[in-house]
Amino acid sequence: MLLNKYWHRSLSVVFAFFISMNAYGVTIGKPAPDFTLKNMQGQNINLTEQRGSIILINFWASWCGPCRKEMPVLQTLQDKYQDLGVQVWGINVEQENQAGRDFLANLDLSFSIFFDETNKLSQTYQVEAMPTTVIVDRDGVVRYVFRGFKDGYGKKYAKAIKKLIRE
Amino acid sequence: MIKYTVKAAILLALINLTGCSSLSIKPWVKPYERQNLADPIMSASRHPIASMHVAHVLDGREAARGAEGGEGGGCGCN
Repeated sequence: MLLNKYWHRSLSVVFAFFISMNAYGVTIGKPAPDFTLKNMQGQNINLTEQRGSIILINFWASWCGPCRKEMPVLQTLQDKYQDLGVQVWGINVEQENQAGRDFLANLDLSFSIFFDETNKLSQTYQVEAMPTTVIVDRDGVVRYVFRGFKDGYGKKYAKAIKKLIRE
Repeated sequence: MIKYTVKAAILLALINLTGCSSLSIKPWVKPYERQNLADPIMSASRHPIASMHVAHVLDGREAARGAEGGEGGGCGCN
């Protein structure tokens, strides 16, 4: 079947099929996929309803070393920029999140924490590295995606946020 | 044209048969699913600093740098 001279056509059909399957997810410049999740305080929060605010969405887990380092950095960003219409959201991706809750108990965080136990949201946002940080602008458009966390990323986030605030 | 469509359909069916069901392809553990893999019990050594050093030595000796977290020696090579 594949050995005649038209084999590449059948193959390209298959490839087209697989490529079309990957057509969802986060793309810079495209609207951020909407979601509703309950935060730690028990409030249901919807992303589209936050139009007008700059949202920094951070996917984290307690087993991820860089994420643990990053949490205090995110808290300083929230403290510094919340009056300017910036919200930091931390989305825990653990299937069993007790360890995550214990980790939070030792920190004094004021920003919204969500639990994505089913990993549906992580799938939609194509979390390709831990942690992944997505910054959504006032119009609900994905503007920045940062994969991983290293020293100095806090400054990168701050720079991105400042740029979006000035718009 | 119908011939090719049939061929494509057969090929898709074959892919389904291989176990990679076309609707739920999960070829690898996603980064957010590494909860169990990241458990300390999964590491081969209980001495991270010592094993990091061994990894670094082997990296240099075997010219097989990368993937183990071993760092360079600062010579600017490799």
